[in-house]
Amino acid sequence: MSKQVSFTLDGQEVTVPQGWTVMQAARQEKVAIPHFCWHPGLKVAGVCRFCLVHVEGARKLEISCNLVVQPGMVVSTLRDEVKQAHKWALEFHLLNHPLDCPICDQAGECGLQDYYMEVGLYQSQMTRPKVLKPKALDVGSELVLDTERCILCSKCVRFEDEVTKTGALGIFARGDRSIIGTYHGQKITHQYQENLVDICPVGAFTSRRFRFKQRVWFLKEKSSICPGCSTGCAIKVHGKPEMRRYFRVKPEEDQSVNGHWLCDKGRMTLEHLNPEARLMQAARWQAAQQAWEFSPQTAPFIRELAQEIARLAPQDIALLVSAQYTNEEYAEFFDYFVKQRGITQVYQWREPSEARDDFDGLLLRGDHNANTRGLMAALKQVGIKAKIGDQLEKCVAAKPQLVIALSPEISFTAPSLPEQLAQLNSLARVSLWTTHFSASQWTQLWQLLPLRGFAEKIGTVTNYQGKTRVLKEAFPPVASEVLAISQIIAGLHKEL
Amino acid sequence: MSSLFSPEIRQKIEHYLQRYETRRSAILPILHCIQDEYGWVKEEHVLALEEHYQLPRVQVEEVLTFYSMYRQQEPKQFRLMLCDNLVCTMMGYKEVDSAIRGHLQEYQHKGKDCPFSLEKVPCLGVCDGAPAMLINKTRHLNLDANNVVAILKNCDTLATGT
Amino acid sequence: MEKPKIVTRFAGLADSRSLDTYLRHDGYQALHKALAMKPAELIELVKASGLRGRGGAGFPTGLKWSFVPKDAPEKYLLCNNDEGEPGTFKDRYILELSPHMLVEGMIISAYAIGAQKAYIYTRCEFYEEIAWMEQAIHEAYRHGYLGANILGSKFSFDLDHYGGAGAYICGEETGLISSLEGKKGQPKLKPPFPALSGYLNKPTVVNNTETLAVIPWIVQHGPEKYRAIGTEKSPGTKLFCISGPVKRPGVYELPLGYPLQKFIEDDAGGLRDGKTLKAVIPGGASAPVLTADEVAKVTLDYESMANAKTMLGSGAVIVIPEGQSMVELLKVTVDFFHHESCGQCTPCREGTGWLSNVMHGIYQRKAKLKDVEKMIAIANNMEGRTICALSDACAMPTRAIATKFGDEIRSYIQRGNHG
Repeated sequence: MSKQVSFTLDGQEVTVPQGWTVMQAARQEKVAIPHFCWHPGLKVAGVCRFCLVHVEGARKLEISCNLVVQPGMVVSTLRDEVKQAHKWALEFHLLNHPLDCPICDQAGECGLQDYYMEVGLYQSQMTRPKVLKPKALDVGSELVLDTERCILCSKCVRFEDEVTKTGALGIFARGDRSIIGTYHGQKITHQYQENLVDICPVGAFTSRRFRFKQRVWFLKEKSSICPGCSTGCAIKVHGKPEMRRYFRVKPEEDQSVNGHWLCDKGRMTLEHLNPEARLMQAARWQAAQQAWEFSPQTAPFIRELAQEIARLAPQDIALLVSAQYTNEEYAEFFDYFVKQRGITQVYQWREPSEARDDFDGLLLRGDHNANTRGLMAALKQVGIKAKIGDQLEKCVAAKPQLVIALSPEISFTAPSLPEQLAQLNSLARVSLWTTHFSASQWTQLWQLLPLRGFAEKIGTVTNYQGKTRVLKEAFPPVASEVLAISQIIAGLHKEL
Repeated sequence: MSSLFSPEIRQKIEHYLQRYETRRSAILPILHCIQDEYGWVKEEHVLALEEHYQLPRVQVEEVLTFYSMYRQQEPKQFRLMLCDNLVCTMMGYKEVDSAIRGHLQEYQHKGKDCPFSLEKVPCLGVCDGAPAMLINKTRHLNLDANNVVAILKNCDTLATGT
Repeated sequence: MEKPKIVTRFAGLADSRSLDTYLRHDGYQALHKALAMKPAELIELVKASGLRGRGGAGFPTGLKWSFVPKDAPEKYLLCNNDEGEPGTFKDRYILELSPHMLVEGMIISAYAIGAQKAYIYTRCEFYEEIAWMEQAIHEAYRHGYLGANILGSKFSFDLDHYGGAGAYICGEETGLISSLEGKKGQPKLKPPFPALSGYLNKPTVVNNTETLAVIPWIVQHGPEKYRAIGTEKSPGTKLFCISGPVKRPGVYELPLGYPLQKFIEDDAGGLRDGKTLKAVIPGGASAPVLTADEVAKVTLDYESMANAKTMLGSGAVIVIPEGQSMVELLKVTVDFFHHESCGQCTPCREGTGWLSNVMHGIYQRKAKLKDVEKMIAIANNMEGRTICALSDACAMPTRAIATKFGDEIRSYIQRGNHG
């Protein structure tokens, strides 16, 4: 354990590890010190000069982000001179800011707005014309940049230099003519663009995906785990349950896995949650009409499946399982089908082209399944030994009469899915349990059962490190006909 | 290797890249050297520095736009850098400035190509000779409305070669 | 009052910049003496001399050197020859007079702190001076004062030159370091201080040209002799640059403690064309202005200036005559700092622009009387709030002029408002 240091913060004795700054200590103690340029995941820049505090015996106010705690130090964030300094710091920041809040996506989660409510001067002294700069720049597939709103905190520059090490952003010119940007508007191409939106304390970087979609104060957020790969980043899903819509996915700080960041692929998982991409009702293929027949009643489908299971011998039934479900779902699924129904043909369903061991050096892994390790453990639990790998061919070769399949949820993880489904369908009746549905690509499957998406369930997955990751909170499902695996199994249980 | 830079410039660039502890330190001298040769620093120069010498374009552009002596626009033959700071102001910078502007306007009236660009620069460190001005790399001191016009006319002669 | 010549001892000599001339006047003798001493003894010697940094801040030089860790394998000495403070032209004068004085001072100083490499950072507008300096470095290499095993000693040391590109902020020591690293000249957050982590994060000492140039004299003549000049707390001589409408503007070497008024009237010959004195900026554009009354009471040393709530700064004495508009001078001052703010810290980036804007309003007589108070409030909140002192350098003269010449500014505004 590292050495501890004690000091006084706003009259309270606080103990922190040696080497911590007052800002870090304050964060731990939930003492709010206003700041723009400090970020726990980036090097200290000390340029916004907002986080000033009073230190007893010091000649002038100090910035807390670069002030290392000394034993016995007495720090105040509450003295009048500190409050006054904060007001002025904010006033300086607002000087060249366009104040276009009504058309800014950052409104509601903007540092300038938040602090203005807390420490603003209210009677603004600004009468001067503002420095005009370029707006609405396309600097990346996920990004829109408004350089006028920028307060030059340099967090995005440091992110590019320190985190992605791509160095694509710079602050050009000098003084109040300084301007944030890429070289001559060149595009940022890496997979972590939206982190720039997250760390931007104002509305300079906004998300192309989220832009003008929704006012943030209408959104609810729920903690979950990213289903995009085996890293298992902690996320918050932002949605409007009353609209049955999801609007964005953001990282949640988790020092053991993803720190403060989340890749853009992880954020794209959002697309699989909204009705357009979802299987909203159970469906069966009507060969005569060459079309899907949807039904608000799921019970008849479950009954048909139960009849099919009853009709066939266990060895004629196969389970085909992707690695994108929770440990609890696997436990229930295998307990029922393997232990109780005696089905022994269990196959992994994976993307054949996957480069499982790839890693981008930051977060994104080539294993695009959130729960490979959990699936393998669950298989082992029911006595099935297998190596990680796609077993669809093996499943087809075994010529089962019925395949009960847990489909991959996130389509970018399974580009071969339509061909795989076609291949399966030519051989057997398929009961596909799925969240996702693509009317244009999917045909002829015997039945589709609608499942809850990752934001709509609570549970655990096991990431590449073997760490248990918890999907803590769930939104209500997008449609009432959407089922939990446990509900389908309960239905089958009743029928059989 | 880039054909953009002459062999002499390439040699100088290589020299600067070796001269300091880090390659990055070479950015300022290299930009000076390019500007001395071509009169200004073009976008293609910046891109060539990245492509051939691994000096990242963002780093080079930051330097290029931060320091006021670098030029990103095609220069005139004579770059007039007139000090408008404290001492020069007190010693008659305004009269010198008007005289220069007057002279420059004559080109417009005559529809002639003006060989001068005029910019205001901070203190040149020669306040004992205020008002002061640099023309390219040459210092001119103790200017007034008369002698500055004479200096410019002298430049005209050089420019037209008559 | 006696006026010993230390830096100006080469003034008036024919061919004063040449190595021959320098050698004929005891050049590089101090280096022989220094190399026979231990580095720690040299640091003590400089401490004992009481020499204070001549760039502006007046920090004791020996003390600054003593902060550098003894055992660090790689250390740097940087000469701040950026000379950008408006009104200042003394370092330029040193290069014009005797660049070898600087070179020898740097070799000795590097030996004292244990630096193997040094750079002279010069503003690029000093084209001629840079050529003279490079010539001196070249000569020093040729004669074994620089390079491996200097004068047969175990000490090896390289000296190089680096040119700026037009940025006042590079005269701030960590701005200079950033610039030398090939970056924008933005000052670095402190701590860590350069003595521990400077150029390329290695221990680094940054000294002003004049500071380094007097080192050989101090070593050769001993600290007592240097201490005997000037005042108790401000020992030695200093170069003063006087400019404005005086009869003999230029660089003068004066013992610290020399009366300001005497300097203006006797040495510089007083104001010309029958003008009378209105005010003086005693230490470059960032120093608060002194009124004519105050001028009579101060002497040219750190303490007297501090007591008068201004500063000795770089020693740039700017003489302002009666009839000169203070509105105009304040506009020029804030415009300068607005132009030169590096843009890193918000209060400086925005504050300098704000002051400039308010000042332009006043200048055009499109202002309110209370704008004078607004400027003071802005200045108060720019000061002491940023990484470096540029913000203070803008705030201090603004407040001084707005306070001491507030009536002049207000009546200027009123004349506009009432036609």
